Amino acid sequence: MTVFLRRTLLGFVVAAFVPAEMAAAADGTITFGIVTAQTGPLAAPGRFQLNGFQLAADAINKAGGAKVAGKTYNVALKVYDTRCNAAEGASVMQRLATIDKTPVVLGELCSPVAAAESPIAADFQMPLIITVATGPNITDQGNPYTFRVNANNTQLTKSLADYVAARKLSPLAFIAWNNDAGRGGLNGMRKELPKSVEIGYVGYFNVGEVDFSSHIANIRSSGAKAVMLLMDEEPGALAIKQIRDAGLTVDLVGTLAMGSNRFLDRLNVKYLAGMAQYNAFPPNLPTPRIKAFNDAYRARFGEESHGFAAQSYDGLHVAVEAMAKAGTISDGKAIRDALGGLSTDGVIGPIKFDAKGQASPPVYITQWCDDGKRRVVYPEQYVADCGGG
Amino acid sequence: MRPLLASTGVLGLFAALYLVPVVAPGQLYALHILTLALCYAVPAIGLNLLFGYTGLVSLGHMGFAGVGAYATALLMKNGIVGFAPALLAGAVAAGAVGLLVGVPCLRLRSHFFIIVTLAVGVILYTLFNNLDALTGGAEGLPGIPRPQPLDLGFIVFDFRRPQGFYWLALTVFAATFVVQWMIVRSDFGRSLAAIRQDETIAAARGVDVFAHKLAVFTISAAIAGIGGGLKVTFLRAAAPLSFELLESINLVMIVILGGAGYLLGPLVGAVLFIAIPEVLRIANELRLVIFGVVLVLLALYAPRGVCGLLAALRRRLGSKGFAHARHS
Amino acid sequence: MLTALLEQIVNGTMIGCIYVLVALGMVLIFGVMQVLNFAHGVLFMAGGYVCHFAFFKLTGSYPAAIALSMLALAALGLVLERAVFRPLRDNIQMQIVASLGLILVIQNGVVALWGPNALQMRVPTAETIVRLGSLSFTAQHFVIIGTVAVTIVILQLFLVRSRLGTAIRATSQNADAARVVGIDTNRIFLITFTIGSALAALGGALLGPLFLIFPQMGDLPLLKALTAIVLGGMGSVPGAVIGGLAIGIVESVSTLFIPTDFRDTVVFGLLILVLLFRPWGLFGVRVRGEA
Repeated sequence: MTVFLRRTLLGFVVAAFVPAEMAAAADGTITFGIVTAQTGPLAAPGRFQLNGFQLAADAINKAGGAKVAGKTYNVALKVYDTRCNAAEGASVMQRLATIDKTPVVLGELCSPVAAAESPIAADFQMPLIITVATGPNITDQGNPYTFRVNANNTQLTKSLADYVAARKLSPLAFIAWNNDAGRGGLNGMRKELPKSVEIGYVGYFNVGEVDFSSHIANIRSSGAKAVMLLMDEEPGALAIKQIRDAGLTVDLVGTLAMGSNRFLDRLNVKYLAGMAQYNAFPPNLPTPRIKAFNDAYRARFGEESHGFAAQSYDGLHVAVEAMAKAGTISDGKAIRDALGGLSTDGVIGPIKFDAKGQASPPVYITQWCDDGKRRVVYPEQYVADCGGG
Repeated sequence: MRPLLASTGVLGLFAALYLVPVVAPGQLYALHILTLALCYAVPAIGLNLLFGYTGLVSLGHMGFAGVGAYATALLMKNGIVGFAPALLAGAVAAGAVGLLVGVPCLRLRSHFFIIVTLAVGVILYTLFNNLDALTGGAEGLPGIPRPQPLDLGFIVFDFRRPQGFYWLALTVFAATFVVQWMIVRSDFGRSLAAIRQDETIAAARGVDVFAHKLAVFTISAAIAGIGGGLKVTFLRAAAPLSFELLESINLVMIVILGGAGYLLGPLVGAVLFIAIPEVLRIANELRLVIFGVVLVLLALYAPRGVCGLLAALRRRLGSKGFAHARHS
Repeated sequence: MLTALLEQIVNGTMIGCIYVLVALGMVLIFGVMQVLNFAHGVLFMAGGYVCHFAFFKLTGSYPAAIALSMLALAALGLVLERAVFRPLRDNIQMQIVASLGLILVIQNGVVALWGPNALQMRVPTAETIVRLGSLSFTAQHFVIIGTVAVTIVILQLFLVRSRLGTAIRATSQNADAARVVGIDTNRIFLITFTIGSALAALGGALLGPLFLIFPQMGDLPLLKALTAIVLGGMGSVPGAVIGGLAIGIVESVSTLFIPTDFRDTVVFGLLILVLLFRPWGLFGVRVRGEA
């Protein structure tokens, strides 16, 4: 029973304000707005997004706080649940702008919700920094107050398509979520894949579905060489287990969540060996920045870090850097301009926003080895062997 | 069901609503919530006519709102027509779909009809989600423009600003409310009430039950379409998830909570349903748990919805000691 | 082609059995109480969570955990019927509101207590692979089929052979008449709802180890079970069985012929089509005066 009380309390703490560690001489607090899914079907990936923000706030506060225009500030978070609902996203943005008066908002998981949030960001000159949603149209619209730290679908699929083509994984079958993430990924792949890779069976499924037997039977009879899984951790674990239990030896290509040790715990090395996935950052790359992030994440959350967390972690740091550069914690326009000209290095790699507010972080492809470690297979400059991914 | 407030009371309410941005100019968040509530109140009026007055439960009504929404959105985004014609086109499109659905489905008995409307809603959602080329698909359709400012010479209404759009939404709601009122007061409306009470007796008295049902179904779908068009213009983005099963279920809740069969039920229900979870944001993680408890309590203690509760209170206060034998 | 078709029919039958398992509790409650229990999905889900908790914290025995979860959910069902559904007996509208309120409370309560991430439960029957030709299932699939069959038989025996069961049948046919002959219909409804909730828990406890245990795990099964019941003719157990199997098979077979993102459309389109020609469902009762 005490486990549950502890868990419940942890749940409150995790989801509520970060208790800002009071730096020795703080001149105040900057409160950042965070929008994510804390309940509903996408609450699981939303948790990782939030973890990243909390870790970043912790790190900044521990290092003495945010230093802007000669003053030092504690960083606090105001977290709201948008549940992947466009109306709630808009309401929450309105609340953050007019009641909480946060200078910058970060987060969002679902592309259509971000689409409803960005006009309000522009209305109130309150920059919105996306850290997980991948729909290209969010930034393509050219809203000056919308930025995105993570790679969008177009960038992700370019890397995946390169990998698939290089390995000659044809015919390529798909099992995809029938939502913005899955469909967006598939549409992107259709555009990016060269003619040499034939797209085979496409199996869409609804969020919440757990049985893939009909898709698997079709994949087998279609003679696909590889299967790309466009979904998150939980259906991914089920799909891979069912595919392997069915005796299919196809190559597997997956998404970010399928490259973490969490995922390994859900399945086992036998099922995963050889499976490739795109990743926001390879957790075991020996750069000090990544190591520090990993250690802090493990210390706080008791498990290996997650790509969404890394993206969010960088997002908050970028916001603080922009404020420092602009010399203001409240002038939205100045912060926006600072973001536009920013060039920095995050856990996920170099971050620099283009004219539409889209950054181009490297998209890594990691692969599981037989011993449960990962190697990095793409891009060229980051290639590392088993244990280095 | 009789109208809850006398005409003057209703006029007073609308006057007060119009004055909100004037009286509380800085309360932009509250205004936003009120506008959003109006965007839900309009389709709720449609459902109220169908459910509250005629007794037909539709669990797919937001699907019709979606038809209107995407029609309006696509017309506005491509600059083909202005807001008013786009909204009307949305209403016509939604009404047409309603008619198409109603003809085969209205023959079905209560529980079957409910599930079939659910099925229709899911099918419409699937179309919004899958027809990428037409609707923008699952990623949504961003960048829907607000209507052009209305220049009346002495005053300009800028619909890109919260106050301007609020007034627009309120006017659309008011117009829909008048339509609802006219229907309810008419012979057509009385026939609907008769059908809700007992179809067989209504038929025996010469009411063409099927024709009436089809008419109200089509009208309620068209009204839902208007609500959909209003909502996506407000949010400036359309998304299939805004019109999925859960939203349709929420719409039914709004009508019931406010008081099915009361003229002001949709407005009251929409305001409560949208505002309470927003107010509860202070409770963040437990927000929806608390909201669920509130709903259960309302179900137990306001059995005819909030309007029903108010009506009962009014009766009690007005009884002056006389025993009123009112049957609910 | 033929093998593919056969494979999908088998797949569909397997998944259809799962839908039937979820539908059983609902059809019982509907048949007796004329209540469409929308909260059935979250009771199913809660059963999975309680089973997980019982398995890991209380007893390492899977059957014992199942029994405990059925007991716990029966108790919850008892409380809910008494406190929420009985006062709303004559008010279908408010039953819907209350059900949805309960869904919010239970689903988000689970997230608050266990977090949003899915739980895993490994039991031997779910880890044992059984091959049928080129298809692979687990022993758990067959446990589910067996459970469905046994439950139907037990329910049938109970309803026909026992006094209580007969009272339940009497109430379902005509509640007023049942009251006239001295049956305490309040007690009957309470017992029915309790049994229905226990059946929901059974479903969750059996499905949890097969897939995952997560807050939304009951949402889609609820929808499918509802559709199955309606297809079958509302209140009819054989109807629910045929309906559930039919939906499973259509879902699986349709992946051979139409783009998979339109699967739901096919299933629901089929439902509408069936109801157009048989407005009272496959096994339903035709009401006088109906077309």
